[in-house]
Amino acid sequence: MLDRILILSVFIVASCGLAYELIAGALASYLLGDSVLQYSSIIGAYLFAMGIGSHLSRYVRDEDVLNRFIDIELLVGLIGGISATLLFLVFAWLEAPFRGVLYALVLIIGTLVGMEIPLVMRVLNARHAEFRDMVARVLTFDYLGALAVSLLFPLVLAPKLGLARTAFVFGLLNVGIALFTAHIFRAQIRGLRGLWLRGLVSMVVLTAGLLTADRLTLWAEQGLFGDQIVHARTTPYQRIVITRWQDDLRLYLNGNLQFSSRDEHRYHEALVHPAAESLPAARSALVLGGGDGLALRELLRYPQIERITLVDLDSEMTTLFAESSALTALNGGALRDPRVRVVNADAAQWLEESREVFDLVIVDLPDPSNFALGKLYSVPMYRQIARHMAEGGYLAVQATSPWFAPNAYWCVVTTLKEAGFNTWPYHAHVPSFGEWGFVLAAKHTRFTPPQSYRVPTRFLDADTTRAMFSFPADMQVPEVEPNRLNNQALVHYFERDWSRVIR
Amino acid sequence: MRRRDFLGAGLGGLSLAACEPFPSQPRPPVTVHHPGMQAGHALRDQGTRNWPEPTGEIDCDVAILGSGVAGVTAAWKLAREGHRNFVLLSGPEPGGNTAGGGQGELRHPTGAHYLPLPSRESVHVREILHALGILHGDPQAARPHYDEMSLVHPLQERLFDGGRWHDELLPVEGMNARERERFQHYVAGLRGKKGRDGRLLFAMPSASSSQDSEWRALDALSFHDWLQREDYRDARLHWYADYCCRDDYGVGSQHVSAWAGLHYFVSRTGEAANADTGSLLTWPDGLHTPVQAMLGQIPFVDEAGGPRRLAGTAVQVRQRGGRCEVIALQEGGRSLRIRARRLIVAMPLFVAARVVEGMQDFGFDARRHLLPHSSWLVANFQLRRFPREPVPRSEHEYVLPLAWDNVLREGKGLGYVVATHQLIRVARPERTVFTAYKALPFDATHATRRRLANAAPGELLDEVAEDLLLAYGDALWPLVERVSITVRAHAMSIPVPGFLSNAGLTALRELDGPIRFAHSDLSGYSVFEEAAWWGWQAALGVLGERS
Ligand SMILES: Cc1cc2nc3c(=O)[nH]c(=O)nc-3n(C[C@H](O)[C@H](O)[C@H](O)COP(=O)(O)OP(=O)(O)OC[C@H]3O[C@@H](n4cnc5c(N)ncnc54)[C@H](O)[C@@H]3O)c2cc1C
Repeated sequence: MLDRILILSVFIVASCGLAYELIAGALASYLLGDSVLQYSSIIGAYLFAMGIGSHLSRYVRDEDVLNRFIDIELLVGLIGGISATLLFLVFAWLEAPFRGVLYALVLIIGTLVGMEIPLVMRVLNARHAEFRDMVARVLTFDYLGALAVSLLFPLVLAPKLGLARTAFVFGLLNVGIALFTAHIFRAQIRGLRGLWLRGLVSMVVLTAGLLTADRLTLWAEQGLFGDQIVHARTTPYQRIVITRWQDDLRLYLNGNLQFSSRDEHRYHEALVHPAAESLPAARSALVLGGGDGLALRELLRYPQIERITLVDLDSEMTTLFAESSALTALNGGALRDPRVRVVNADAAQWLEESREVFDLVIVDLPDPSNFALGKLYSVPMYRQIARHMAEGGYLAVQATSPWFAPNAYWCVVTTLKEAGFNTWPYHAHVPSFGEWGFVLAAKHTRFTPPQSYRVPTRFLDADTTRAMFSFPADMQVPEVEPNRLNNQALVHYFERDWSRVIR
Repeated sequence: MRRRDFLGAGLGGLSLAACEPFPSQPRPPVTVHHPGMQAGHALRDQGTRNWPEPTGEIDCDVAILGSGVAGVTAAWKLAREGHRNFVLLSGPEPGGNTAGGGQGELRHPTGAHYLPLPSRESVHVREILHALGILHGDPQAARPHYDEMSLVHPLQERLFDGGRWHDELLPVEGMNARERERFQHYVAGLRGKKGRDGRLLFAMPSASSSQDSEWRALDALSFHDWLQREDYRDARLHWYADYCCRDDYGVGSQHVSAWAGLHYFVSRTGEAANADTGSLLTWPDGLHTPVQAMLGQIPFVDEAGGPRRLAGTAVQVRQRGGRCEVIALQEGGRSLRIRARRLIVAMPLFVAARVVEGMQDFGFDARRHLLPHSSWLVANFQLRRFPREPVPRSEHEYVLPLAWDNVLREGKGLGYVVATHQLIRVARPERTVFTAYKALPFDATHATRRRLANAAPGELLDEVAEDLLLAYGDALWPLVERVSITVRAHAMSIPVPGFLSNAGLTALRELDGPIRFAHSDLSGYSVFEEAAWWGWQAALGVLGERS
């Protein structure tokens, strides 16, 4: 009976052993790429470490075999269990030590796992089991365990639980085996109390890990963002993360900074006021994107604007910025202003279907970082916008950075011209972004940069406005093509420009 | 932006990738359409006799029988030149091989899906596109301006090979670069090259091509054999040539005339002011959009004398006392007699051979002159979500996004086209349609067609899903809301070796009596430009006599 239990534990121990190997291999190929190389070097290192473990097992004295086996199970469970999460965390912070930590973990776990089977065999041998029989049974169950996991892992565990939680589950199994063995052989074990204690502590740590794996990933993100995360949510469209550090509130969408409350006024004043101030007769405005309500806040300062339509894809985003008190403090409750109508729709599709015409159009859409988004900055898209603009109206477009991505920025300007607009490019310094670019466009040629503003502003005045509309010698206009739907020049410029900036 | 910002996005993708659902999913509901099969088989089994006595009669100047590209072009051209007294009889499938389905954002093709930029010689296509507002400015300019919404947006195509996507169908990697270059150089050299009669060797439409016997001799061997003869050995190049033949002609390079094979590569010379040479025009539901737009420009009325559109299938066509007479079978077993001064027979020739009396007198003997046909399956997979494309495994890896046309080197089909590709959207739409094309292997015994006629929906589904499963695995199934499969068993003529010297086709092309033929079959192969060309010629012929 006892032997049978030991053999059963071989099955589980073997499953766990293979599971850690698979998890390390999968993680390495996910995070480092080149899966064949990563996978085979992980497996090689792991097998090598198992060899070391087998060798080391001979230094365990006969009378200690059971105790050491239980210790090893506890250690494997603990280290193996937290391995995936640990690796995620390390990777999130720094890449350099990641490989080191990865291989160290693989070697440690491999060594420990390598000791398991020899020790079990010795336990059984000591119990006078027939050698031939014993070897056959142990190895049979060893391989069966491996088979079970090699099927379960890709089909059920990795897809259902994810790597981090899978590791915790196997860790718990190892610790379970340790405690179970300790219980069965309690008569032959020294220091039973301490053992139980260690076992329980491991159990608690691993269970906590299993339950908080999600939050730990968030914590890993925290590492990525640096600041405390006050809100994080994955919507059908994006991952919204809001962080706070002292009085600085920041919004990240899919990991990209959208604003910092310390300087967003610069961005939004620049985006809205040159257009709005120049059209004192404006009654209506359209905002495409801008679900944070910050451009709205600026527009709402003009009492003559009677209705504003904001079209933003993500209802979770507009709801969040309409309801959270920290955020409404920032946007002044703009999303709930009676003059504002919030439409949760795809801005491009909405433009196709609507026939409304507006005096001011503010376009605050994501950067053209892929082919799908590049279409939002194309000639047909701008022609579509033109159909929604009054003859005397103004259009203001956020247009990436003329400093970091000059080709992309000027491509937006050229595209607007190609679509029949007259354009007035301008830029402003937003510390958390760097030098940022906008384009003012109209169907007429009457625009001159405002000399003063009727509404209160923190950043804009006659001087800053004059500086915005002038491009110094080191920001001159490169020769660029307009962005056509069928060549997507802008996406290529954008990618090339930014790849020179990002290290 | 810092490196970390990128990592953040990477991690997000990773955790999502880990919750992909489970394999071995139940199959979605499937509907199967066999356009024209019932009518065609009834004609085959019943011949031209014993149809119900006509209950109505229509008299007109011109009757056009068939509403595929050729028929619609003939009608459009007649209307454009001010002719009003004609009838367009739809036949069993309005639109023919350019039919489409679905609604709104989920419109999709059930046949043809693209048009290359028209060559200088395709004056007819240019005039049509100009009238439809797709080509701007002078329609016959060397490099006209095209509507951007109709030009295929990037990524135009990608190839799945060796477990990952590549951005060219003929990838630079992993093939003999010298052969690739030699082939491309040779093909480029043939563009614009003229025969001894001063005409282009390979022109689109093919009727404008040179008759130079030295070059037409290529028609004696298959494209595959020609490649061998010219000492092309590279397996990828052969795959590519074979794929192009299957994609355009429905069968592999071994069954296609070398002349036709080269024609594919050489004749597409259209240029544009605002697009690269070799660009394509497309619409969410394929060529259904321009063909519907052409119909929309014909001022149809529902009375005698005006251009009229009629539903119905011609079951008997003959000449009686200097006039043409058509019996058309309509809904509910009723039939209609159409009398016309002139007929434009715009139905496939294998149907015409059963319907039109005295084809032999025109010089066309169906037993000798009908070309073999390729069979096609067009499967529209309506998806509740886009399937997950592979995520980059490191920040250095660039994974190609979903393209308009997605081809799998190991696939038996021709890949799949994304119906929502051309939309402009902030986020991509939730649902989409993937249209998978499959041309069935060449089959001289017609066993394939017999099998298709009776195949169970599930069987066809397995056949058309192969390519998509190669790309996405079983994770595809839970995303599929429904599948609609269109079986085109007699989809198109195959330009087999020797097709250029088919005397029956030559005779029909030159016919200018009361009955004229207009169908892509006259060219021996099936593309929009060819079908439209014969519709155009038939209309011009009729108009020419009138004046
Ligand atoms: C799957 C597929 C994909 C394709 N993709 C492309 C592509 O991307 N680009 C391209 O240029 N071309 C493509 N083609 C080819 C293109 O669709 C055809 O060349 C073109 O549509 C043929 O038009 P047609 O008028 O010659 O004939 P058909 O389309 O065959 O039309 C024949 C018409 O005749 C009617 N008819 C039949 N019998 C009768 C009767 N007894 N009485 C009256 N009417 C009758 C039918 O209802 C139909 O309307 C594709 C074809 C297929 C099958």
